[in-house]
Amino acid sequence: MISEPPATLDPTAREALAELILGVADDEFVIGFWDSEWTGIAPMLEEDVATSSIAQDEIGHARALYELLADLTGDDADRIAFGREPDAYRHAALLNHARGDWAFSVARRWLYETADAARLAALATSNWPPLAQLTAKIRREETYHRLHVDAWLRRLADATPDVRERLADALVRLWPDAQQVFAPLQTEEELVRAGFLPEPLRAIHASWQQAVRPVLEPITGTLPPAAPTMDGRTRRTDDFLWLHGQFTMVARSEEGATW
Amino acid sequence: MSERVWEVFRQEDEGDPMIHSGNVNAPDEDLAMHYAREFYGRRGESHRLWIVARDAITELDDPDLLKPPFDRSHKKPGGYLIKHKLEAAKARATKAGE
Repeated sequence: MISEPPATLDPTAREALAELILGVADDEFVIGFWDSEWTGIAPMLEEDVATSSIAQDEIGHARALYELLADLTGDDADRIAFGREPDAYRHAALLNHARGDWAFSVARRWLYETADAARLAALATSNWPPLAQLTAKIRREETYHRLHVDAWLRRLADATPDVRERLADALVRLWPDAQQVFAPLQTEEELVRAGFLPEPLRAIHASWQQAVRPVLEPITGTLPPAAPTMDGRTRRTDDFLWLHGQFTMVARSEEGATW
Repeated sequence: MSERVWEVFRQEDEGDPMIHSGNVNAPDEDLAMHYAREFYGRRGESHRLWIVARDAITELDDPDLLKPPFDRSHKKPGGYLIKHKLEAAKARATKAGE
């Protein structure tokens, strides 16, 4: 049952929604930047255009989410996107890794797209209308992203042994960090109680894992038990520090400028 | 990667003709669809795309069949004086509509 949203948001509700939206937005923002690293060097021209376009879509979703967040907290979307120190970002540990080779990028995007789809399906029934409406729009594009990366996962899985092994290695390596898309939030109890988040993240995680194991295990062999942890969205790596330096470079070059 | 060429046709609006737009290279049907979408549809400019493997197209370019050597001008509509007939038909139509 979906409870009625409160007419006005009290500070507790606002804070909870802000934490939820920030995590989703940072995920989209960071994967968008990692995948844009393929522009100009993807395996073939057509794929170069497709990957770049999908990366741009993700940054577009991040922009819409940052704007929603800015409205909620009285902040500025550009400042949230480019004006934070690295340890203030809240993306999942899955997105802490550098782009790697093509198999690694496909493995990461497949894990991310499936996890994101599970999360968005839940957020689409959020009882906070602005979030439910934006999620519905985002999902229309994400369906296509998922079909695209699905096609690539199958191609690599059915390719030569070397390719298949690279894919399997990447999936195994990323498996524990992929769980962190569902890392618990500090305000989660409030989010569920208020109906902003229709079910707890651990429930969404459980059904996601149950759905992806049968697809992945024929490629990887049995995957170990893995679960989200409290630090799933706060851990940072040198790879991310490098990426942060890259994506904030232009904004930092002329602070407060109007572009 | 073994690639095939796929010819792409696009339709701007429902009911418009499908117009050949160009082609994409792709290893299979699934990726051909994605690439066609990226090249000919990502700006919202298309209502529908047709993606056809080039090797599935039957081509005819034989000049003996398409540009026969004899005078075939009698098969073209030119040379027939129908101006007066048309004017008369228009007049009848206008009168009937009054």
